[in-house]
Amino acid sequence: MTASSLDLTRLSEHLPTEAPLLAERTFPLDIGRYHTDAIVTRGVEMVFQNGSEQFQALKGIDLDVHIGDIQLLMGPSGSGKTTLLSILAGILTPTAGSVNLLGREITSMSREQLAKFRLKNIGFIFQGFNLFPALTAQENVELALRVKGMPAKAVRQEARFLLDQVGLSAQAKQLPRDLSGGQKQRVAIARALAGNPRLIMADEPTAALDSQNGHAVIELLRRLAKESGRTVLMVTHDPRIMDVADRVVYLEDGMLKA
Amino acid sequence: MASIARKNLFEDIPRFLVAQAGIVFAVSLVTIQVGILRGFTRGTALLIDQSKADIWVGSADMVQMELTSPLPLEQLLQARKVPGVALAEALVVSSSRWRTPDKTVPPTKRITPVRIFGFNPKGQLFAPEPITQGSLSALTEPYTVIVDESNQQSLNLKQLGAVGTIASLKAKLVGTTQGTQSIASSTYIFTSLESAKAYAQSGISPEVNCRLQDGNIRCNSNYDITSTAIGVDNLTPPVPEKLSATDPISYILVKATPNQNLKTLKQALEKALPGTRAFTRLEMAQQTRDFWQKRTGVGFVLGLGATVGVIVGMVIVSQILYSSVSDHLKEFGTLKAMGASDWVIYGVILEQALWMAVLGYIPGILLCLGLGSWTLATQGIIILITPLTAGGVLLVTVSMCIGSALFAIQKVTHVDPAIVFKA
Ligand SMILES: Nc1ncnc2c1ncn2[C@@H]1O[C@H](COP(=O)(O)OP(=O)(O)OP(=O)(O)O)[C@@H](O)[C@H]1O
Ligand SMILES: [Mg+2]
Repeated sequence: MTASSLDLTRLSEHLPTEAPLLAERTFPLDIGRYHTDAIVTRGVEMVFQNGSEQFQALKGIDLDVHIGDIQLLMGPSGSGKTTLLSILAGILTPTAGSVNLLGREITSMSREQLAKFRLKNIGFIFQGFNLFPALTAQENVELALRVKGMPAKAVRQEARFLLDQVGLSAQAKQLPRDLSGGQKQRVAIARALAGNPRLIMADEPTAALDSQNGHAVIELLRRLAKESGRTVLMVTHDPRIMDVADRVVYLEDGMLKA
Repeated sequence: MASIARKNLFEDIPRFLVAQAGIVFAVSLVTIQVGILRGFTRGTALLIDQSKADIWVGSADMVQMELTSPLPLEQLLQARKVPGVALAEALVVSSSRWRTPDKTVPPTKRITPVRIFGFNPKGQLFAPEPITQGSLSALTEPYTVIVDESNQQSLNLKQLGAVGTIASLKAKLVGTTQGTQSIASSTYIFTSLESAKAYAQSGISPEVNCRLQDGNIRCNSNYDITSTAIGVDNLTPPVPEKLSATDPISYILVKATPNQNLKTLKQALEKALPGTRAFTRLEMAQQTRDFWQKRTGVGFVLGLGATVGVIVGMVIVSQILYSSVSDHLKEFGTLKAMGASDWVIYGVILEQALWMAVLGYIPGILLCLGLGSWTLATQGIIILITPLTAGGVLLVTVSMCIGSALFAIQKVTHVDPAIVFKA
């Protein structure tokens, strides 16, 4: 960790939690001055309680992810990657420690506040795609847009645009079962981009894909991240992704290895 | 925007159809039970509702319309003198036995218990409605009757002019009504006061002919010998007599003068006619309905059926919704992970429940309407589906589905959005 990034971390810690998000500010030229980390965690611990048995999945995680970076999270199976990702996404509440996303302390938010925060700021990509099987590619994206509060009139056009971005205009009317794995994941990416979130969180997005489709998805993620300055946090076993990553951290036995 | 609720529902058509069949069944069960109960209660006092009488005067021990003690006709004459009475007419309710002379009818289908309503066909206060064939005034001819269409078959009266016998006197069909028969009662026969008196006095007991044959006494009833009653063939029955003051009648139907206070008139009538009780038309109908609904337990049985229908429906709908929600749990988890509020998810489940309710209700009600016209035509049983019943059943169906949805929602409320990361 560099000295400058530490300073910036401190800056972000001192920002009031209700400070306007970076995207809402209108002085891009000053971005260097106001640069904050997208994700800052301190002392995150997670203990699972299974009846009388306790299992500590995370043991004091300090992590900083820079805005606009593609950050990889790697490590052996069972090391706690998915657990950490869930916590960073505000889906799981850590048993100790703090998580700051885009300058806002999420560990102190209520369930409802967290849900609103996720809706506005985070796009998800899952290993199993998690598309709605009864909805077409277009409808899957439209649903996300509607849920995120886009007016009904604008939804159709925006969904077309997003599908076009991932190269699936021709497949808009197809149901997930009629799409290949790679196409499904691209629909899921289009959906994750709905509402233009500043963070993308992906758990093994290429694990279910063959190498060709995997490549296409990786290339797509890289392009989308770099073009728009989104921050991408990705859990993966896939060494190919390392080529496009800005930074990589390794998790082992619930602890980060530099 | 696509509705996930609808898409989820129609995703698997065979399964959807099976589910809907269950709801159609529940809707039909409730509608039929309620319809029969409503048809039944309406039918038991329909003739009272249809009467134009403001007040029904009956014996003090009257239980319901068809169960009362006689009053002397003389009291009718007294009633006419009571101030506030504009019009008073007699109604006779008696029972007897119907017999068809048609030899082609199997022996076990030849006799029928009947309830005879004798009234003045030229009067204004009592008349079955509607008359679908023939006319009410035709009853002024002696030994003529009007019956409900639904009873024509069981009485073997295929068309106007057909005859049967009541006790030992002929009865000729001169008209039909529709929907007047109470399913709780014997077959209704409408006739004039004079004919009713004649039928009541003729008695059912046949003459028995006995003679000595081979040292044994052999007896035959008159029916077996002649198979005909007086008047059916060539024998002409005596012209029925006018009622005399001592003749028994069942009710005095009273029309009050305009602006007459009915409560006061009731009291005046009861005072002038000892041993009687006066009821407004509504009270009389209520008393009769209460008897059938409460004292006979029919209301309870039918109510129980309707309740079972609702419960069966709820179980079916809950099961379907619950399994549908379970099947789509991962999708709901995904929505939750994305940050959709619980209400978005509840909305989907509720919408699905409403679709199920509506798509089960419409064919269910149509089925019942079809079934209702069939039972009326063939069984004389009215499944009364008024707009009120239909609206009530819709309300029950919707609340049944929403209740089930709330049950299914429990499952989603407890779903951990973290499941989305489990492969
Ligand atoms: N809800 C839970 N209750 C109890 N233990 C849990 C729970 N979730 C995860 N764990 C445990 O925490 C540890 C870390 O799990 P996690 O799913 O984060 O691993 P991972 O690094 O994502 O593994 P993989 O690469 O196989 O996906 C595992 O030992 C797992 O058994
Ligand atoms: Mg994992």
